[in-house]
Amino acid sequence: MSLNFYRRVAFGLSPNEKPDKDPLNWAINQLDTIPDLLWPGTIPTEKDLRKKYGEWVYGDREVLRKKFKNDKHAYRKAKDELRIQTGERYFELNEHAIRHFQTKYSKQPVFERFWLFWGNHFAISEKDFLAEFSTGPYQREIIRPNMVKTFEEMVQSVTTSWCMIHHLDNSESFGPNSKKGMEWGETINENHARELLELHTVSPNAGYTQEDVIQLAYIMTGWAHKWDRKNLETGDIWFDQEMHQKGDKVVLGVKYKNDAKRELAKVIHDLATHPMCIKFVSTKLCRHFITDEPTDEMINPVIEAWNKSNGSLIEIHKAVITQAYKYNEITHKFHPPEIWLMQLSRMFDLNIPLSFEKMNYTFKLKPNNRQRQLSWILREIGHSPYRAKQPNGWSDLEVDWVSPELLLRRFWFASVELPMLVKSGNRSHGFILSCLKNNFEDHENMASLIDNFRFGTSDYDLGQKYGVICNLPGVLKI
Amino acid sequence: MNCTRRNFLIGGSTTLFLSGYFPKISFASMQKKNLIIISLRGGMDGLTAVPVIGDKRLKKLRKKLILEDVLNLNSDFGLHPKLEIFHKLWQKNQAAFVHATNIPYTGRSHFDGQNLMETGAHIPYKEKTGWLGRGLLASNIIGKGLAISLPMPLLLRGVPQNNNFFPSPDFVETKLIDQIYNEFKGEHNELIKSTLDTIRQRPLSMQIATDSDDRKKLALEAAKQLKDQSGPRVAVFDLDGFDTHAAQGGVDGAHADELEEVNKIVTILHENLGQAFDNTLILTLTEFGRTIKQNGGYGTEHGYGSAILMAGGLLKKSQVYTDWPGLKKKELFEGRDLNSTIDSRAVYNSAMSICFNQDPEFLRKEVFWGDELPDLSQELFKI
Repeated sequence: MSLNFYRRVAFGLSPNEKPDKDPLNWAINQLDTIPDLLWPGTIPTEKDLRKKYGEWVYGDREVLRKKFKNDKHAYRKAKDELRIQTGERYFELNEHAIRHFQTKYSKQPVFERFWLFWGNHFAISEKDFLAEFSTGPYQREIIRPNMVKTFEEMVQSVTTSWCMIHHLDNSESFGPNSKKGMEWGETINENHARELLELHTVSPNAGYTQEDVIQLAYIMTGWAHKWDRKNLETGDIWFDQEMHQKGDKVVLGVKYKNDAKRELAKVIHDLATHPMCIKFVSTKLCRHFITDEPTDEMINPVIEAWNKSNGSLIEIHKAVITQAYKYNEITHKFHPPEIWLMQLSRMFDLNIPLSFEKMNYTFKLKPNNRQRQLSWILREIGHSPYRAKQPNGWSDLEVDWVSPELLLRRFWFASVELPMLVKSGNRSHGFILSCLKNNFEDHENMASLIDNFRFGTSDYDLGQKYGVICNLPGVLKI
Repeated sequence: MNCTRRNFLIGGSTTLFLSGYFPKISFASMQKKNLIIISLRGGMDGLTAVPVIGDKRLKKLRKKLILEDVLNLNSDFGLHPKLEIFHKLWQKNQAAFVHATNIPYTGRSHFDGQNLMETGAHIPYKEKTGWLGRGLLASNIIGKGLAISLPMPLLLRGVPQNNNFFPSPDFVETKLIDQIYNEFKGEHNELIKSTLDTIRQRPLSMQIATDSDDRKKLALEAAKQLKDQSGPRVAVFDLDGFDTHAAQGGVDGAHADELEEVNKIVTILHENLGQAFDNTLILTLTEFGRTIKQNGGYGTEHGYGSAILMAGGLLKKSQVYTDWPGLKKKELFEGRDLNSTIDSRAVYNSAMSICFNQDPEFLRKEVFWGDELPDLSQELFKI
């Protein structure tokens, strides 16, 4: 088995890891349990961060805008201070550090790859202040714990999470015949219902109609944040019977009797176990780990494992890895920028993320440049993980990641930024050669391409070497 | 000179004498024509951009989204106050609108819809190339596409050597590419290899470092490139954020902010293209319009018919070109959306024919599989 399997399903091997005798077992054994988060610094809870989100929006909207309504300049100054006090500038940076630290040091890197996958399948795109406060904890507290449960349980948690409900406007959806809908003349907002069908479960291939979307939106009415004057839209999610559409509903030909909050779990059960859902999500998994256009032959064993285990994600993950192993030598897969960065960081033991001590924040000043570094790099290489443009998340296709500018930015990172991230003990040519040997069959050819610079250890020399190595076809792609 | 003999013959064989393409082709050897597409992702609301003022139903259905200070276009239609530049150009016959138009897609999914607005096809994800890329290829215009975005938009795919422009913060040494170029072997490395080719052939003017977050700077650079006689002939801008399910607002609000961005880009292009603006067409593109009625969050839902905003010296005159379907319930698509009475692909096909000096019949066959798309060049553009 080629060494590239460790990059296909994980992040490559760090300088102190050696290839396993049985790579398939090595990978499969990582999927039964949830590894602890390793970040030694602060890991705030979702609830804490939502409180901060609330302080930020309340402070801005209800206090500052009123107080400084006639003084634009003073308003801007006060708002900047509030950003610092509430951590609006900081928490996303800390989340990136937590995430990157995990993929770099986890003893179960294959599990972490699936974590990234599911976070992107149930993507939270850039909206309001979700990236600043909520998307990170959502990935840690909603996505991660469900990865050893069933797909259905994952969908249930995601659909009723504060983050997804806010992201897809379900708190603004009123049953037109509900108490509040009638009193206030309000109606449904279809956004969340449509994406639950299209992106999270059955996909448009299931052939649902506009009426199905409306009926599902009816079922979902009432699942909303609890609003109050102080917390505004950041209150806990509850089921508000007074917003809920009364009467029976029909989605994809199945009738759901008027049953208040219990309707949602029933319809999610049917959607998450629908054959089109199983096919759609299995295909996406194979696309992520095997190749952009997976064949039925690749996908079918995953579907079988899904059916046999009633949607157990552990079993589904194992089937995906088995397939990735089986097709490792004959398929190619391009890696998007964030995974590429994580792999470089693990293989060459780069100095990212910043140490937890230095990531510490006092809420008194703007985060410093070092604290912003990792997030800035991610943005510049085109892949800031919590800022997908749309709810379908980041693309998994090579064509979406190959353009002159996107490739240039990889050259930029590897030749300009990366040298500054090489640890002081790792600047020798020998270190690079040993990392190459640990991860690439054709390490000798790779070494020959940088041989001109073998005596150089300056930032410039390292830039010339890493600029070449990191952008070779076998590094950009498996 | 991009009009090859092959294209001339194929293009000429069908309608050359009927629609008088001869003079245009010789004219083309002197003047480069630019086609600029601005993608508006999320579903641009044609009724917010170009509201129908002659119909009271709109106001009734959108109590919380009322537009004040609408700029006047004619007795039937107004213009959103944030689209100032279009109003200014309208006075000079350099802005026009196509209304109640959309791609032939009624599914209301953003992602299927955006895929189809770019491929021009009927089945989502089936085609891997964009209509603009195919149009360039059919017209033998190679290496003249410029995307103002970090990824290469699907719209431009299908023709080799397109560039994109979104400069990184530092200057990048492209000689590194020479050292590894020959390592890219085999079919599976073709895409990366051809992209590296494009980088190596870049004009010096594109080898700069700047703050790519600044849309103004990007539009300014694009204008510089387009102005150059030997520079790109096609540019694609990409905007998102039109999916205003909540807090859509009227004069201000989420939709207005996005229209303001369009306005900004067109303003900068107009100011900086100078004379080249006379030989330019700017057209917007979106996946669908939005529902007539406001929803529970003072926003609107995914709809069907929308509008195309157009600017440039190649427009025939200022007009709202439409076959207005009406806003009565029974006139709406599925009782809720503005209908689409013009296949927007006909507008794009005609625009390509003007800018690429190509017979629209020929393009229709090469680019849109011979779909029924009437030639609107005479109605919309200067020929």
